[in-house]
Amino acid sequence: MDRKLTSITLALIVILAIFLLLVYVGGNVLGIERLKTGENPLLRFVFVIVGLLIALVIYYVTRENKVWEVGTREVVYMAIGAALYAIFSYLFNGTVFVVPSVSQVALRPAIAIPMFFGYAFGPVVGFFTGAVGNMFGDALTGFGLSPQWSIGNGLVGLVSGMALLFPDKKKSVNTVLIISVVLAVLATLVYFVNRTVPNMLYFAPEQNIFGDQPISAFAGLSAIIGLILVLAVRYLFRDNLDIAAAVTWGMLGDLIGIGFAAISDVWINGFPLGVAIVGEFLPSAGPNLIFAAILVPILVAAYAAVQRQSGR
Amino acid sequence: MLVAWRYRERKSLVQWFDPRAWFIFYGCFLASTLLFWDMRYLSIFALVALIVLLTSGVEWHEMRRPLLFIITFIFFFSFLTFLTGRGGVEVYHQEHLIKRLALPVTIFGWQPAINITWERTFFALSQLLRVFSLACMTIVIPYTINPAHYGITFRGLGLPDKIAYAIDLTMRFIPTFGRDFQLTLDAQRARGYELEKLKGGLIAQVRKMAPLIVPVTIHAIIASEDIIDAMDLRAFGVGPRTWLDTLEYHRRDRILIVFSILFFVAALFLSFFSFGKFWVPPIFS
Repeated sequence: MDRKLTSITLALIVILAIFLLLVYVGGNVLGIERLKTGENPLLRFVFVIVGLLIALVIYYVTRENKVWEVGTREVVYMAIGAALYAIFSYLFNGTVFVVPSVSQVALRPAIAIPMFFGYAFGPVVGFFTGAVGNMFGDALTGFGLSPQWSIGNGLVGLVSGMALLFPDKKKSVNTVLIISVVLAVLATLVYFVNRTVPNMLYFAPEQNIFGDQPISAFAGLSAIIGLILVLAVRYLFRDNLDIAAAVTWGMLGDLIGIGFAAISDVWINGFPLGVAIVGEFLPSAGPNLIFAAILVPILVAAYAAVQRQSGR
Repeated sequence: MLVAWRYRERKSLVQWFDPRAWFIFYGCFLASTLLFWDMRYLSIFALVALIVLLTSGVEWHEMRRPLLFIITFIFFFSFLTFLTGRGGVEVYHQEHLIKRLALPVTIFGWQPAINITWERTFFALSQLLRVFSLACMTIVIPYTINPAHYGITFRGLGLPDKIAYAIDLTMRFIPTFGRDFQLTLDAQRARGYELEKLKGGLIAQVRKMAPLIVPVTIHAIIASEDIIDAMDLRAFGVGPRTWLDTLEYHRRDRILIVFSILFFVAALFLSFFSFGKFWVPPIFS
């Protein structure tokens, strides 16, 4: 198994290197327009590889740890997580049920699933839940056009599951909290610099808005609002470290996973960095934090009750 | 209890091939579609997808609901694209006006108006073809691939046993959880819960989603204990897995695989050399 994994990793690195070489030599040295960075759909595949490599590197560094073991239980949880994520993201994507939106933020609670499954059952389950669930969710809706977003969702689950890698829960939670605060504040600073960027994820046909309206203050500040909620959960439940840890690691997962997907659009769609962050990252990662801060604690508490009952 | 997709044996193009070969074709088809914005190329894809759909042997009454849903969805989104030109900004930089429709009223000095341009029209048409091809190819899969073959198919495509089995289970769980969600929704409605009338601010609304999401999730986890036990009793994951059915490649499958790979390589090649970018008939631009 391990040797196989090494060869997969090597193959991915070789493909990536060839691509980068093509972009560098073809685009910068020879000046072939097509290969220059900028709008380039081919790069979707490159970013899928980059995302997989990130996951493999995290695995490789901590491969001794027991959380990477996959048994029967994990296989079933992977399938449940992915199926639930697919169903929820299909049901709440705004076409099946018309869910209202509050100042440009639509209700998409599904993201709590990869975070919860990652935190409760480990990074492998989290990654599978996010990546495969997103793929199937897209397939149910009828269009799966952005494989790099599936990998981004996978990273959300993976990072949430990394909580189990650290034996000292309290210390790790505090470190993660500091990293997340820095990331969220940085993204919000970008918003203050680019306040007129349209919110590309907001559609309201009846009001003639199709992802072209300047981002609302609420959506722009949603990362900070989510952060405040997460901090509140962290300190309200300081006696129940499980809940606090699930929410904080989920937050880091959200910032990293969605950040990965949004920033990859800088190369794939040729967005300027500010547009990718303000137009895509904030309106998806920010509200995700709000949903996570509310729903993940409820799920963790409900699961703890089940565990007590069944004694597992 | 598991709810199954509506698979049955059919005389159809899809089922004539080995499911592994078909998934390779499907993957290459999807990946190639992503590379093009040119209507002329996309109409080839749409034609292939249409042939697959019509020869799939799935009867109208079986797929009426999902098909109508997806078609409405696709038309709705293409129409949005048409009205706004959203998304198109990335592929064209100049627009040629056909007509400007404006309402004869002004609201606070702003006059609602739509610019209909050739670029937007063709962009919307291209998008329609693109999403239509993807949707047609996707919708036939649950009807035409035997659920008993999901696992062996993904194993045969080179995934490890456990991952292949996890994907197999995912595909089986999706319709089951869909039913569970509906049951939970009905049960909560009987208690006076109204999903359609969520009130309050965003945070209050999210909190009100919990009565749906939490029971479905927790029920799925509790019910999984039976599946885990059943799998453990059959020594899942102890040694290399054997599968009840075996799949065999025939000549037609090998031809399809070679064709799919060549097709994808050709698509990559064309897209590398800037073929298949967004296209508007030259007379209009």
